[in-house]
Parts: sequence; C-alpha cells; structure tokens
Amino acid sequence: MDNPSPPPPPPEGVAPAAGVGQQIPGQTDAPSQASLDPLQNASEPQRVIQTDAGAKDGLAKCARCGATEISLNVATGNLRCGYCRFEWSADNAVEAFSLNADIGALSGLVVGSGSSDIVPSTDEVVTFKCGACGAEVVIDTNHSTQARCHWCRNTLSMNQQVPNGAVPDMILPFRVLKETAVASINAFVKKRRFFAHPRFRAEFNVENVMGVYLPYMVVDINAHAKLSGQGEHQTRSYTVKRGDSQQTKYDADLFNVAREFDIHVNDLTVESSSERRNQNTSQNSNNIINTIMPFDVENSVRYDSNYLAGFTSERRDSNLDDLSPVAITQTEDVARHRVNDTIRFYDRGVRWTQEDVEVRGQRWVSAYLPVWLYSYQQRKSSGKTFLHYVAVNARTGETMGSVPIHQSKLLLVSAAVQVVGTVVGIVLLALGI
Amino acid sequence: MLIFAAFATANSQILASSGSSDDGGGFIGLAFLASGFIFYAAIYFKYRNTNKRHHHESETEATMLNVQAQDEFVQARKGLSNRKMTGANNNDVRGSQRKYF
Repeated sequence: MDNPSPPPPPPEGVAPAAGVGQQIPGQTDAPSQASLDPLQNASEPQRVIQTDAGAKDGLAKCARCGATEISLNVATGNLRCGYCRFEWSADNAVEAFSLNADIGALSGLVVGSGSSDIVPSTDEVVTFKCGACGAEVVIDTNHSTQARCHWCRNTLSMNQQVPNGAVPDMILPFRVLKETAVASINAFVKKRRFFAHPRFRAEFNVENVMGVYLPYMVVDINAHAKLSGQGEHQTRSYTVKRGDSQQTKYDADLFNVAREFDIHVNDLTVESSSERRNQNTSQNSNNIINTIMPFDVENSVRYDSNYLAGFTSERRDSNLDDLSPVAITQTEDVARHRVNDTIRFYDRGVRWTQEDVEVRGQRWVSAYLPVWLYSYQQRKSSGKTFLHYVAVNARTGETMGSVPIHQSKLLLVSAAVQVVGTVVGIVLLALGI
Repeated sequence: MLIFAAFATANSQILASSGSSDDGGGFIGLAFLASGFIFYAAIYFKYRNTNKRHHHESETEATMLNVQAQDEFVQARKGLSNRKMTGANNNDVRGSQRKYF
C-alpha cells in the first residue's frame, strides 16, 4: 500500500464513507426481506387483477342517444358519439385497478387479467351476433377489436378478454392530432432530403401516416440490489516527456466500493409483440419505434374498443415468460445507473464485480400505446426489401425515423471529403498539428 | 471500413478518444485522414438512426431507498495511462433490444 492513511472518499449524497454499512441520512432502515425468484415466486401464488369486470361485448351504445358510432376525439381525449356529439371518458386505469399502490408493498407476482398467457388454440377471428339485427359479425383480432355489421351498419365491440392477447388491461388514447404528426414527420424528412434515396423522395407521401395502437407490458418492480466492486478517484494528472512526444499520466486512489439499497421501478415499458422486440437494425427499423418511448402510461384508461375506432392495432403475442428476462435485465440497468448518484466521488469509474438484484414483487399490466406511423418499403437492387419507419409518439410528440439513403451519392461525396481530408491531414501531420 | 466507421460512431466512440492516453499531438491531422469515414458515418446515422434506442436505464422512473454505502481505501496508484478506470462498467447497459447485426 503506497499511502498508509488516505482520506476517506466523500461520495455525493451518501454519508461520509470509509465505514461499513453506513446509512443515508434521513432514510429509514429497511432490512432485506426473503429473496424471491425474479420470474416466478413459488412461495406466493400469482395474483390477478380482474381488469375486464363489467365489460360487455357487442353493441356499445352512446348513453344519451343509443348510437354505436363512437370514436375518440383526439383533441379532448374523450370518446364522442358521432350522432349527438355527447362526450365521455373511460375510468383512469391506474386508479381503477390501484396500479399506483405502493411499489414497496409489492410481493410476488401480480398480473392484470389482460396480461394472462396466450392460449395457442384461441381463435384470432371471433364471431359475434349483432344485437341489433342478429347477423353474424366477424372480428379479426389481429388488427382490431371492432367490426361493423354488414347488414345494419352498427359497430360491434369486443371488450371482454379472451386468452389471445387482443384485449389488454388498459389503453392510452391518442393525444397528438394527425395534422401535428404529419407536420412532425414532414419536418423530420425534410431535414434528410439531400442524401435520401431518389425513389423515396418521389414516393414519399406523408398522408399515408397511420394511427396504430401497439402492445406493451407495463411493469412495476420492487427489488433489493447489492453491488460491490472497486472504484478509482483521480488525485493528480500530469504530463511526462517520452521521446519527442508528451504523455498524460494519472494518479488515482483505489477503493473497495459496495452499495446496498431497495429500488422501486415504476412503469418500466417493454414491447409485447415479438416482431417489435426484434430490433436488429440490419434487418428492420423497429428501434425507431422503441426510441419514441417513454409514454405517460399513468394516464391510461380502462380498455374500451371504441378508442380503436379509426385506428389499427397490433395484438400482443408474448407472454410473461418471454418478457420477464428483458424486464429483469432492464431493472438491473436502472439500478446500476441510479446508483451512479452515490458514486460520483469515483470520477475515474467503478468496476462492479458483483451485482445481485433480488426481485421481491412485480406487477404486470398489458397496454395499447398510441403511435403515428409512416412506413416505407424500400426495394433494394439486390431484390431484398427493408421497411423504414418514421414514428411519432402520439402522447409526447417525440419523433424519430429512418430514411433510406442514396448510397452511391453518399459514397461519392464521402470519397471527395476523404481526398481533401487526406491532403489536409498530411500537411497538418507534417507540421506536427 | 464503412461499417467500422459506422459502428465506431454508433457507440459514441469518437475516433479521437482513442488518443486519450496521449497528449493529442497530431490528432487533428489524423482526424482529417479519416474525414471521409467520419462524414459517411455521421450522415448514415443522421438518416438511418440505427444508433437510437429508448434509454430505459435513465428514462424509467425509479426510486432508491435505504441506501447503505461501504467505501474502503485499498491503495494509491501512480502513473496510470488511461483517463478512465480499466474495466469500469458502472454505465453499462445490458437490456437494450437494439442490435446492429
């Protein structure tokens, strides 16, 4: 040991260190409880929040005039009758299902009934009898939970949950108007026109924007984390001469570092469509849709198919077993980054060698979240196709996209830049700059 | 090479950072020598945004409670060449769904 009595580090936000097991001031003791398996808690049964209690399939009528022509008024966020203009809203799902209950009190696995495992034999196409005329009406749950009766033109809705992932626990209505989304997408593409593929420039038609409800799982997690490793705090930096050049050197103090804490993760959001979860950017542009998160899921309402009128939807096709590993790994990421607030003293970084995150409780609910989506299918010279998206978060307005590139043009300009840069670089190197 | 340039930028590894242990002499000249690659990568990511993702690690609401800290001096280290600790992983992200290949 070079320094027999170094000063203890003063990590920000943490009680003066050098001690063992020190407590953050102002916070109470909460000794660790028994640990639970991250995916399933064998000791406690799974608890289900029934989220479709009272929901009815078939004709959903306006309370004032009885019409079934009901849709979302994006400007107000309410459902509106197309005949009498009466407006109302579904109950807030967070309050109705107590999803804002203390995360610290969560134990075991709690799931919404709309998040239950998908039974493969369940029909994707469901047939209902029209309550107005008696005709058989078919709803393809892959794309919607509504259909119009071809005889009497009434709209039939499916609000009761069947184990095929079509009816979620809650839905977050569109808030950004289509005109606003169109303007955002236009502006996004306009900034990327010069190197855009000429066919894309010719075919780009922003009016093709579609409103889509995409399936997600929203997870609350109560966990206990223990991290240990080593951290370095820089004490000095200086330059030394080596041959003709100079080199910067650093002196640092090395510490053993450990942090133990409870962490309550609120509304961690994970794609529950296997297709959307595939974000290999050499094959698709699903990362674009991922980028526009997060959503204000706390404003979600109880599921009502009428919110889907005029929009499309994608059905959930993943179960908790598929999504738990992702959610747990992301929870570990959240814990690792949150603890950075307590290790700022270690300005050269911390190398965690042990990370244990014990999940004590978790609550899962499925949700449809709103996205304005422009899609463009690029046909490459190789014959392959690639689907580009420009997406707008229909709650926050955050916009992200992928625009196909005119490769030969970009390569040509890059080559020209390279030629000029090479000449300039050689001159600068000769001058030692 | 273009893929290398793209990948390097995607990971926010500005080519200059490789010279962090040096004094930076000749860096500007080296940067010009790679200017075509840097230009290609910058335009590629501006248009395709393959490096973009949801930052769940920082954008997810989370509360830390009952933090217990332990910090124990081990030794003083002298004459280190790297500006950052070797193997530091406190900013690692492992739960991202995005992949490049």
